[in-house]
Amino acid sequence: MNTNAALMNEDGSLPAEDLPGDFAIWIFILAEMLVFGVMFIVYAFARAHQLEVFNASQLTLNRGLGTLNTVILITSSYFVVRSVAAIKVNDARQSARWLLGAMALGAMFVVVKLWEFNEKFSAGITLETNDFYMYYLTLTSFHLMHVLMGMIILGCVVFKLKHGDYTAAEHFGVETGASFWHMVDLLWIVLFPLVYIIH
Amino acid sequence: MYKPTLIINKSTSHFSTRIWLVLVALTILTFAIGEEVVQGKAVMLSVLAIAFIKGQLIANYFMGLRHVSWLWRGIIMGYFVVVGGMVAIAYLL
Repeated sequence: MNTNAALMNEDGSLPAEDLPGDFAIWIFILAEMLVFGVMFIVYAFARAHQLEVFNASQLTLNRGLGTLNTVILITSSYFVVRSVAAIKVNDARQSARWLLGAMALGAMFVVVKLWEFNEKFSAGITLETNDFYMYYLTLTSFHLMHVLMGMIILGCVVFKLKHGDYTAAEHFGVETGASFWHMVDLLWIVLFPLVYIIH
Repeated sequence: MYKPTLIINKSTSHFSTRIWLVLVALTILTFAIGEEVVQGKAVMLSVLAIAFIKGQLIANYFMGLRHVSWLWRGIIMGYFVVVGGMVAIAYLL
């Protein structure tokens, strides 16, 4: 009845697959998440000591641009999912197109973020204005560097896709790049409500 | 040989599209909550819960962890529980 019957475990479940992409990228992802996780917790406890400063400063952030950037990153992650699905059916051209779309959205994220920074710098806000802005600027620019790094990684994958280096049978590199990009999205999912919304 | 693969791929695409729409909806919900003047502990916990759900959707369906060993799903879920839990404690103190 089930075409996967031959692949099933004795209890009828399908066997667990290997992690998508290179195992090393997963160690890197965990290390990055750990670093960001510590920074998120430090931010939350620093806020508890200066409630009024944090709440008042947080209200000056542009929540609309923060939301826009969240939608941009989520959509880029979705494009990356479609890219991996395309290479799994041997459609390298389509896979490259989805990744180029994801990179374009990554570039939009960078532009929106720089616009937001410009608003703050124009208002005379710097790292030294107060602790909230120090955390806001540090956390978001550290994350921005990961977006840029992710765009370079996706660019390398597109380059290899266009040279026919990936197929339905061998697309390890596409999954590795995809996993990194999803991590960038995952971190923003925590950063955005923490720094922009919750007060 | 290719036809079944293409069908599977198409249904996977539809599924990921639905996940994407849910993620966008949850993002807009977070924004709407942020625009409310009244903030409190329940609101803070709701926003953290939404972030938890979004994280699980990305990890399991976009990163593809639902197909791999439960250990990796557990690590990502544990990360959100620990980080979200510590943030909640800091806000409730």
